[in-house]
Amino acid sequence: MNAPVLRFENLTGGYGSIPIIREITGRVERGSCLCVLGRNGVGKSTLLKMLSGHLPAMSGQIALNGRDITSLAPEKRHDLGVNTGLQERPVFDGLSVKDNLTLMQSDQDLEGCEPFFDAFPVLKDRLVQLAGTLSGGERKILSFVRTLKDNAPLTLLDEPSEGVQPENIEHMANFICKHKANGQSFLVVEQHLHLAEEIADGFQVLDNGRSVLECKVGDITRGELVQQITV
Amino acid sequence: MVWLLANATFAGAGLFLLQFVVDDFIAYTLALYFLYAIACLGVGLSWGQAGLLSLGQGLFVGVGAYLSGLSLIAFSDQWFLYPLLVSCCMVPGALGFGIGQLIFRGRTLNGAYFALITLGLVLLASLIATSWNSVTGGFNGLLGVPGLPGLDGFEHAYVISASALFVAILMVAWLLATPLGVLWRAVAEDERRVAYLGFDPNLLKSVALGLSGLLGGLAGVLYAPINNLVTPDLFGFALSTNFIIWAAIGGRATVYGPVLGAVGIGLLTVQLRETIDYWEIILAMIFMGTVLYFKWGLLGYVEPFIKQILIRSTAPLTPAPPRNPTGVGTLDIKGLELQVGQVRILNDLSLSIDAPGIYCLIGPNGAGKTTAFNAMTGELSAQSGQMSIMQSVVASPDARTLAQQGMGRKFQVPCVFDALSISENLSLALWTARIDRPALLGFEALQWTSVIRQELERRFPFLTERSRLVRDLSHGQRQVLDLAIVLCTEPRLILLDEPCAGLSKAETQDVIDTVQWAAASLGATAIIIEHDMALVKALADKVFVLHQGHLLAEGTVAEIQGNEKVKTVYGGGSK
Amino acid sequence: MDGLLVAHGLNISFEIVVLALVSLGLAITLGLLGVLNLAHGEFVMIGAFSAFFVQSQGWPYLAAFPVAILACGAIGWPVEKFLIRPLYARPFDAILATWGLSLLLREMVEFFFGRGFNSVAQPIKGTVNILGADYPAFQIVVMLAAIALIATIVFWFLRSVTGRRIQAMVDNPDLAKAVGIPVDALARNTFVAGLCLAGISGVLLAPIVAVHPSMGIDYVLKSFFVLVVGGLGHILGLVIGSGVIGGAEATVSAIIDRTSGYSFVLILSLLFLWRRPNGLVAR
Repeated sequence: MNAPVLRFENLTGGYGSIPIIREITGRVERGSCLCVLGRNGVGKSTLLKMLSGHLPAMSGQIALNGRDITSLAPEKRHDLGVNTGLQERPVFDGLSVKDNLTLMQSDQDLEGCEPFFDAFPVLKDRLVQLAGTLSGGERKILSFVRTLKDNAPLTLLDEPSEGVQPENIEHMANFICKHKANGQSFLVVEQHLHLAEEIADGFQVLDNGRSVLECKVGDITRGELVQQITV
Repeated sequence: MVWLLANATFAGAGLFLLQFVVDDFIAYTLALYFLYAIACLGVGLSWGQAGLLSLGQGLFVGVGAYLSGLSLIAFSDQWFLYPLLVSCCMVPGALGFGIGQLIFRGRTLNGAYFALITLGLVLLASLIATSWNSVTGGFNGLLGVPGLPGLDGFEHAYVISASALFVAILMVAWLLATPLGVLWRAVAEDERRVAYLGFDPNLLKSVALGLSGLLGGLAGVLYAPINNLVTPDLFGFALSTNFIIWAAIGGRATVYGPVLGAVGIGLLTVQLRETIDYWEIILAMIFMGTVLYFKWGLLGYVEPFIKQILIRSTAPLTPAPPRNPTGVGTLDIKGLELQVGQVRILNDLSLSIDAPGIYCLIGPNGAGKTTAFNAMTGELSAQSGQMSIMQSVVASPDARTLAQQGMGRKFQVPCVFDALSISENLSLALWTARIDRPALLGFEALQWTSVIRQELERRFPFLTERSRLVRDLSHGQRQVLDLAIVLCTEPRLILLDEPCAGLSKAETQDVIDTVQWAAASLGATAIIIEHDMALVKALADKVFVLHQGHLLAEGTVAEIQGNEKVKTVYGGGSK
Repeated sequence: MDGLLVAHGLNISFEIVVLALVSLGLAITLGLLGVLNLAHGEFVMIGAFSAFFVQSQGWPYLAAFPVAILACGAIGWPVEKFLIRPLYARPFDAILATWGLSLLLREMVEFFFGRGFNSVAQPIKGTVNILGADYPAFQIVVMLAAIALIATIVFWFLRSVTGRRIQAMVDNPDLAKAVGIPVDALARNTFVAGLCLAGISGVLLAPIVAVHPSMGIDYVLKSFFVLVVGGLGHILGLVIGSGVIGGAEATVSAIIDRTSGYSFVLILSLLFLWRRPNGLVAR
């Protein structure tokens, strides 16, 4: 009954022949958010890319709603309800903001984006601009809106708050909490605690490609978390 | 030497004996295909060794043939005919070298572009040959070219071209076994890495193309008197395509592959074209199959083994000449600004190192660590700022010059030469700024060793498996080999980008020990980009923290860990 | 106005327009997919032979277009699947493989149609008088058709949903996959479309040039020169590149001779590769 939306077991993988992460296991429950924390270079993005299908798993399994998706291509995972926001190059620089948002629709209708435009009016002002001309933070917001607007069952976000102003991070947190209440699930990779603390139901801390800490949100103090992720 | 003698015996005996088992007609046909085989050896040299796919080998054959034909017609009975014919071989060689210098110089040209330019050149030559009637005889070509004086006539054809092929085979066999051959194969695999070892890839490629032109020219020069005719067909793309097909199917990277391809497939074509209508179609499909599934051709999977057996019994190791780099391990960067597109990566970066030791460069993703390395070695050019590397001010850094002065760099992904043996990989490093031009053509430098190399072999025993191919190594071994290559150049300034990425705990410890030992015994400065704080603690005399392209903090590990700014950057603990 | 001059002008424009059309197909495969397809010219040749075949069967000229598209599609689809796709990551081998493919296609056409030169009768006879010059009506039609075709494709690429998805795929393949674009299928269709475009150009050209199995080499080289000079980034580069290459060759050929025209174009391209490897209109 209460099978997790996403479950990954003993995942090992990386680029080419180089394993970056080793034997990581975790799960995302329905309507909850798992935050993956850790310093840079510890393998957080690698984990996310393996979950999204951009990097192959050398070993281990990934299951979505109980179905094995370990060897599925990213576009197939998308069709099964996984929406991914990437960390680097999160938007199509050569397309307009509007095209970025409506690329996968047959029309150019922006109805689903209206609630987001209320929170991030800057996007609405720049609909016709090329996404490549936006600032880094604005691109992250655009990517965030694109990823969330389809109400996918599972959303993977890689450092959504990077370069984003604090009040907009607040808006992002609100949206994620609202979507969680609707039964949607999230896995968010973050380097900064600011956003993570507001949205997370559980934490998973990586170091050196391995999982070093897994806990529910109430089980750990902020100080302990900070200690885990700083140098 | 054993290798050369074996080749001389094999090729000589083969070519000598072959004439007794075939009839006159086949002997004459063979003579023609021997010439094609010579030109095809040139393709093997430029394409199979240096990785230059030339779709226009016919250019050199044609130029040689026309020059030789014209010389024979005009000066058939003059005493200087033979020297003149020799220079007719040289012209295509010089042409090849010149084309190489022109095309390669200054820019790293995409292989595809090179292929198409050679195709364009051969088509241009074909146009000139057909339209310049007064000299080339237009469409009909040069008719009635006399044979070589004293060697004319049907019966000499075989002897002439068999001897020429014998010489060509020996030349190629010799070149392939020298350090120059190793360098060509290295260039074909990773040009940038060769430049980081202090060699000039463009010169190496031009030399390969020049020698390939020389062989093409030799074929052409003999083609005219043996065929008594030179036609613009030599410039046709069909012949040039055939050279590629023959070399590919026979085995482009081997000595005998191109010969087998040219003679074998050539003769088959002569025999089968009449009986099987679709023979050419079959040939085209075999070629495509080769490209897709048997990249190295028929002999590509056989010859290396024979070569290995023959070369195994070679001379013992000899010490390499000492290396005394001019550089000192210092670095002084002031106000470096670097922008790529819209993104500013280095932002007023200043960093100074004035004594040897181990320095770690840390910082969040996108802080500009690797970019800083790239700016120092000329991969990217900074918009403004000053750099003084190894005590000399560098306006526009260049990896090759820096390597000769004593800089070594290891990239994050191991850059080793897969198709070469472990020994060849290490030898390349020993040759950096030590080998001179004559030694490139000898065999001694292949046996060089050094104190550093011996110590590395002691620490990592797999390095002593000299003839093992690098493509068979594990990831960890490749990382170690890459580091060993850098250290064997005996640098004074060592740039290491995550040298322990993807290594196991034990391997990591070995690498740390090695870096510490090497920096100390070479009196060098090592700058290491590293994420793993445990490693940084173990290694660093001093740490630099980069953030958004700027130097955020510097100091000992303890100082960095106590630094509030650093904590903020890493933890985001602003609340 | 001088009729001869107008005729020259029309000839040069014809060269340029035709070159732009042929180059567009190559630009699609090289610029969008990163594969330098050396067999591109052979697909022009197949188009031309489609026209020849159709005429020899007594069918109307227009029937050659579907025949060419079918032929190019039927060859292109397996070629992409079995030859190009395994080599996307090995661009250097892809050149070699497409060079082999060009050889195979030439030999196959030779097998069926022979090595000789063929001609296709012009479906529209007669001349039109333009500013005092009598110019073949069919060539005018071809020019207009080519311009219309280029304009349509560019417009479609910029405006249609699929065009935007192709742009997205080229711009950022990882993200394209993440948003659910079936990248493999899209790349295959794009590749085949580029080949079909070459076939269509071949049909248009067939009645004007000599149709023979080796006619493709010239086209692939010249389109390559166009892309070298113009750059791959933008449709404007294609137009400018065709203008420079087609214009220069036609002009120099008319003034001196064909060899000089060709040498000039070759040297020009070499200079560009050397000094401006990204072409006039960089991405």
